[in-house]
Order: sequence, then structure tokens, then C-alpha cells
Amino acid sequence: MQCKDFEAVLEQEGLAPLPLAAKSHLAQCSACQNLFADLSVLVSAAQQLPAEMNPPQRLWVSLRAQMEREGLIKQPMAVAEEKAHWWQALTTLFKPRVLVTAGAALALAFAAFLTFHRSPMGVTNRSTPAPSVAQVPPPVQPNGVRPSSSGSPIPVPDPAPQAIASAKPRANPKPPAIQHFKPSPSDNVYASFPVALQDVEPNVNGPSLRGSVEADASLRENLRVINAVIAECRKHLKKYPNDTMAREYLASAYRQKAELVATILDSGRSEQ
Amino acid sequence: MILNLKQNKRTVLSAVGTGILFSAAATALAAAPEQKEHHFEVKGRPTVVLQNIVDGRIEVKSSKSLEVVVISSSSPQKVAIDVEQVGDRIDISATGLVNSTQPHEVEANFTLTVPEQTELQLKTQTGLIYVEQVNGDMQLESVAGDVNLKEVSGYIIVKTTGGSLKCTQCTGKLDFASIGGGAQVLQSSLMKINLMTTTGNLLYDGEFVRTGIYTMKSTKGSVEVHFSPTDSLDVDARSLTGTVDNQAAEFLRPDAHGPHHSRNRGNSFFGTVGQGLAKVELSSYSGTIRILKRP
Repeated sequence: MQCKDFEAVLEQEGLAPLPLAAKSHLAQCSACQNLFADLSVLVSAAQQLPAEMNPPQRLWVSLRAQMEREGLIKQPMAVAEEKAHWWQALTTLFKPRVLVTAGAALALAFAAFLTFHRSPMGVTNRSTPAPSVAQVPPPVQPNGVRPSSSGSPIPVPDPAPQAIASAKPRANPKPPAIQHFKPSPSDNVYASFPVALQDVEPNVNGPSLRGSVEADASLRENLRVINAVIAECRKHLKKYPNDTMAREYLASAYRQKAELVATILDSGRSEQ
Repeated sequence: MILNLKQNKRTVLSAVGTGILFSAAATALAAAPEQKEHHFEVKGRPTVVLQNIVDGRIEVKSSKSLEVVVISSSSPQKVAIDVEQVGDRIDISATGLVNSTQPHEVEANFTLTVPEQTELQLKTQTGLIYVEQVNGDMQLESVAGDVNLKEVSGYIIVKTTGGSLKCTQCTGKLDFASIGGGAQVLQSSLMKINLMTTTGNLLYDGEFVRTGIYTMKSTKGSVEVHFSPTDSLDVDARSLTGTVDNQAAEFLRPDAHGPHHSRNRGNSFFGTVGQGLAKVELSSYSGTIRILKRP
């Protein structure tokens, strides 16, 4: 059994009881031991959380649709009709805020993983101009704007860099620099970030986030800062799509935003 | 008749005055912070967990005795404070009973005295977290409050949203993550540091331990390091749209390890001091990176 087979077993059957082959592989593979240990901790922590209402169904539909689009899962089917997986059973154990936050964090971590493993090491071609390619607009609201955290609409950022990288040129052949970058499932990551975070971004214009005037002001201000940094990185990546350093900063900004959202949501949970 | 009127006037004035005095006294009493003190004996290396969900300052100092002393001061009728001992773990929590509309309206301040060898998990919204002379792993979280550490050692994790960190004479390992806060690490001897912020400024003016790894990253702010000529380190500095201001060029040998020679431009620099034993990575998106030699 290989690591990927072991992961498939975990995905399909959960943590216990493991088949003999999986146990045998687990005993020999330190990477899978780590994975197993992490999952065990997660499940254990989840079981200790008090029960609460389920997250909205639209979130599962959205997550599943996104994963299908990226080729991470196959056999699309209606979420409500399929047999519940072990990980879906966990949803009853999670609080909605924790679940949503964890979902966003996992999506970001996965995106960051793919981002950093898809490019050859050391490739930084900031001087390469953006190719003239078909531009795929990111998902936006019908009015053409993406709502900002402060409530005021901000212009939709330019098409995500992965869209530029993955879209086929209409007339001009691909520049040599671009040909090194094979489109991967992570190419849609940046376009999906804003949508994913929109789902979990709390209403920061509410009367109180933390029950503290000063803390609320800090959270609002820093959420605004992070959104501005994300917009700036995306703008830069539109111009220099192969800039790995800018990609790192973008991924870092999304990670910080996820943590900030988690902080806000965590306070809401503790006030309940 | 006139005398009666004067007497009545005096009586009314006296009554009003007394009322005002009583009212003021009642207000003062109501506003006076409620103080409590708890003592817990511990056997070994205790863990203190303090979750302050309201505003307030946390101050931690150490003593030689195996005892944890918790002194709390909070807004009466507005904050609930729970303190509990489970073995060598002391759990403290402060939660708001009302929503505050004014700064410092719902507040709980803590002063802890702990054994020198203590592990800490402290969390507050605003207000300073101050820890002095404590040895042990610690995780400190704040939204808008600053964190000030002096003579602490262990694996130190600091997370803030807008608060800044000042770490003086620290040893061990340090992780700092913030969005709006900066970090100053002074006179410290840390094996490993990882400072990350979005808009804050970062400063490291301490010892570079051989084989240590020092990572400092600020998206919009500046990153500044001070080294001495006797240090041994490799410096890798990169700013995407900002600049690298190397004010110690005569002490930093560029291109010590070959492949980096082409990167030594205005916003990128690689250099070596001594044998290059410690690894120093400085990065910024649009901020300035400054490399200075200690006088």
C-alpha cells in the first residue's frame, strides 16, 4: 500500500478500524503516522465541541462544487442524496463558525501547498511581461463588484493570475516563460479565494465583534488592511504572473485573513 | 416670614447637597474596581491559562516559591471571573456580562505571580501583556494590546492583530505573527525567530546564535537588523518593490555561496559575515530592509 492508498482509505473509511494493509503501511510510514496523528487530534477535538446547529447547506454545496471544478473529487452528485462519508458525519460535531473557519483554513493551506509545489524552485521572472491572453473574469456579483469587508463596494480585482496563466492565448503563441508553467488544479485557487472567504467573512459592520470598542476598531482596520494587501498582490500578479515572491505574499495574506476571520468568529462563539 | 423663607432655602440646599454627595459616593462605589486575590500551591512546573475575553492588562512576574498568586481587578457587575486549579494547571477566565459601548467600560486586569518555571497561555483583547523573568513555553494572544517580554525564555509564541511586541533579553525560540503590529527584539539570544507582520516594522538587535535561523517578513513595513562584526551569519534580504539599504557593506561579503551573486541589486542582497553559520532571511513586499552594523 502506498501513501495515496492510505489516504484514500482514511477518506473513505475514517480513522477506525483500519484495514490490515493500512495498519501495516501506517506502522512503516512516518508521513502517514503524522497524518493519522493529526486527524486523530482533529477528531478528538471535534468530539469535545458542544453540539450546535449545522452549517448552512449552501456552504457544503459550494465547497463540493469548488472541489469538483478543481478535479479534487469526482463523481459529482447531489450532496443531499449521497451516502454520508465519515468526514461528513463530523459536521454534526462542529460548531458552524469553527467549521467554516477550518474549511477556509484548509482551503487556504491546500492552495498554498499547491502554489508552492507547482512552480520550479527559484523561478522568479519579474521582468516577464504579462502575456496577451484571454482573460477569465473571477466570479462576481451581478452588479460587477465584490463587496468589501467595510460594506462599501470595491472594484473587482483584475482577473486572477492563474486565469491568465491557464487561459489559452487567442492569437499570439505563448511566450517561452509561460510554457514552463503547466496549468494545474491550483490555477483556480486565487479566483476561488475571494468567493470562499466571502462565505465565511463575518459582518464586520455589526454592532459589536468582540464586545470591546477598541478591539472592534482594530479588527475592522486590520481586515481592511489585509483586503488592500490582497488587492495589491493580485494586481501585481496580473502584471507578473510568475512572480513567486508575490505569490507567497498573496498566500500569506489570505492565510492571515482566514486567521483574522477566525478570531472574529471565535469571539462571536464565546459570546453565545 | 423672611426668616422662615431663609430657613426653608437652607433646608432645601442642604437636602440637595446631601443628595449630590450620596449620589457621587454611590457612583464612586459602583465604579470602584472589584479586587480579588487567589493563592494556589503547585508541585512542579505549573501551566497558567488565562482567557480574558474583555479588555484589560495582564502582568506576570515570577517568584521563588511554588505558588501561583492571581490578583484580579474588574468592573463590578460587568465582568465574571472564574479561577480554578486542576492539579498544576490554573485556569482563569474573564467574560463580559454586558456589551461595552465605551473603552475600558468592561475591563479586567490581572497580576499573576508564578514560579520561575511556568508555562503560560494568556489571551486578552486590549491592554498590555507583560511577562518578566519567566522560563517556560508561552503562547500570548492579543487583539489590540501590546506584548512586552523581559528576561523570558522558552518557546514563545505571540499572536496579535494590531498589537506590537517588545522582547528584551529573551532566549529560546520566538514566533510572532501580527497584521498591524510590529516587533522589536533587543539584547536577546534566540536560537530561532520567525517574525511576520503586514504593516508593522520589525527590528532585531540581538545575538545571532550559530546555527540559528532568523526569519523576518513584513509586507508593508520595514525590516531592520543589527549585527556585530564578530557574528557569523548569512543574510538573504529581498524586497519586492521596496529597497534593501545595506549600511554595512564593508562587513558583508557578497556572493559567499555562488548562486546568489546575480541577486545583489537594489531590492535584493545576499551577503555573509564570518563563516555564515546563522541563517538570516529578511523579506518585505514594499518596505525597506536595513542592514546595520552595531557600533
